[in-house]
Amino acid sequence: MGNGKQTILELDRIVKRYRTKGFFFGAHGQDVIALNEVFIKILRGEIFGLVGESGSGKTTAGRLIVRLEQPDQGKIYLDGRDITGLKGKASKDYSRRVQMIFQDPYQSLNPLLSVFDTISEPLIIHKIGNAEAREDSVWQAMKSVGLSPPHDFAHRYPHQLSGGQRQRVAIAHAMVLKPEFVVADEPTSMLDASMSAQIFNILLEMRRRLKVTFLFITHSLAAARYLCDRIAVMYKGNLMEIGPAEEVLRNPKHPYTQALMDALPKFVHSGGVKRYETLLQAEREVSGYVGCPFFVRCKVARAPKCSREKPPLKKLDDSHSVACFYAEPGIKTRSGGKA
Amino acid sequence: MSGKSLDNRRVQKFHWMSRFLSGWAIFRQSFLGKIGLTLLALFALMALCSFIPPLVDPMYQPMAGVDPEISTVTGPSTRHWLGTDFMGRDLLSQLLAGARVAFMVGVSAAFMSVFLGTAIGMIAGYMGKFADTLLMRLADIIMVMPALVVLLMLAALFGQLSIWFIVFFIALFRWPGVSRVIRAQTLSLKHRPFIEAARVAGASHLRIIFRHITPNVLPLSFLYMTFQVTSAIIIEAALAFLGFGDPRTISWGMMLQWVWKTGHMFNAPYWLLPPGICISLITLSFYMLGRAMDEVLDPRLRKEGQTD
Repeated sequence: MGNGKQTILELDRIVKRYRTKGFFFGAHGQDVIALNEVFIKILRGEIFGLVGESGSGKTTAGRLIVRLEQPDQGKIYLDGRDITGLKGKASKDYSRRVQMIFQDPYQSLNPLLSVFDTISEPLIIHKIGNAEAREDSVWQAMKSVGLSPPHDFAHRYPHQLSGGQRQRVAIAHAMVLKPEFVVADEPTSMLDASMSAQIFNILLEMRRRLKVTFLFITHSLAAARYLCDRIAVMYKGNLMEIGPAEEVLRNPKHPYTQALMDALPKFVHSGGVKRYETLLQAEREVSGYVGCPFFVRCKVARAPKCSREKPPLKKLDDSHSVACFYAEPGIKTRSGGKA
Repeated sequence: MSGKSLDNRRVQKFHWMSRFLSGWAIFRQSFLGKIGLTLLALFALMALCSFIPPLVDPMYQPMAGVDPEISTVTGPSTRHWLGTDFMGRDLLSQLLAGARVAFMVGVSAAFMSVFLGTAIGMIAGYMGKFADTLLMRLADIIMVMPALVVLLMLAALFGQLSIWFIVFFIALFRWPGVSRVIRAQTLSLKHRPFIEAARVAGASHLRIIFRHITPNVLPLSFLYMTFQVTSAIIIEAALAFLGFGDPRTISWGMMLQWVWKTGHMFNAPYWLLPPGICISLITLSFYMLGRAMDEVLDPRLRKEGQTD
């Protein structure tokens, strides 16, 4: 993905904190930082992966983009227009362009609405077409997610569907408005492997046909590699590494990404796979440091620099950036026992 | 294509029916539910029959009809199956009219209080923050006020209260319990992903409330209605027994008040027992109905092996 493509969505130094409740009368507890100055540009037409462990803030990023929550600092731009403060009609128009696919298909469908009603709901909200046109759109959406023949499913209720079918309904619900940008929040984490593959193919087909841009949130590196053009690796709300999916996963530069690669279970070809060994077995005991978020678990880190200063995103080449002082372009990161 | 949308409506109706039928299947297995429903059917029959005696003979009118040959308390006879009261009015027709009033009071007060409670609970739960605090503190205040005492004071202030005034006040005092439950349910629904999905799709707050939240809390409201009926009937009966009922309607509490006032408490069991038993049984039957419905709505209460 060169610079020739235009940016569709931009997260500009987004900060999101959650306040933990304290004891009586004020004196609230510590802030939990879900996103710390996250800066991402997503290009039109690509599938952008957001990878990280649970609690790394990737879902929060998705929720901010679809405006389920507001950032504490920073701006989000869609086609160059700030969307953080949208109200009323502007907000409604935005929802027509940006949609979300939720993680748990058992929770994301109203149990009292039939498949037909669920999918036609967005069309009714946005008053698109008359009853007949809406119906055509619903049939079309259902066919495109592989719910065919549509008539067999239209009158069913969520409890009469399997997990995979529910997720298809949820995708149709998101796609029926023909959005330009879709946040897919771990859409397959509740499904088995064969279902996941089918869902991925639906998403790829959507992109091919409707030119949708996806933000694909996942904890699975395999899924990210299969689906994404570029990925960003997050850790504790910080962007650690960003670059083309192949490049980042083949040749990870950040010790955290390398640790993630190490954590992948290896079955058949385990012989030839290089291991990075960048994860400390025991966490370092430091209190109140302000440096690299991965410092406490990083073998590569060195005490004064990494614990005092937060490494900025450093460009290794024109598409691959890493937030680590010791990442070098082309050369493998220092690894090994020097802790 | 429009044929299909008609089809959709029909299937939807069918779906509601199948939901009802599966609920009914569970309800039927409940012993309490069966007894409750049978008793209720009996009382409903009584209420319906209350129109018959005055048609047979004007002297059977529960309020104004007096047997020209009797002017005092008499026991059961073929002419008056349950006997007559101190002025020679027929007790059976009073009892039947009492059933009608009990249903009227119970159901209308329960409906009003559940309506209020559901609306307020949903507003508090959905809006949260200031509205929530305000409404729930109001609910607390009303909840700690003894409804009967306040009604007695009002009756003492304004003289005789009409039956609709009483119904209205019962509703006004009984909504907080419902609103608490509905608020809790709304709070839990509000953060379900399907509500968030609707928000992402651009649905307005009104649409989310009416399309997604209301249908999901209504079964609960309906359940609480049966419990509300019970308490409304008891409050009305107590008020009437204490002499603050509506003097123009005949309720079971009113009948008990007359027994007591005219000093026949223990020497006319045919007068004292029927209204007393009726009050107990009708509240019991609504309660049992509620318990059985609870089982339908809450799978955790079901016995082993029961499913939808």
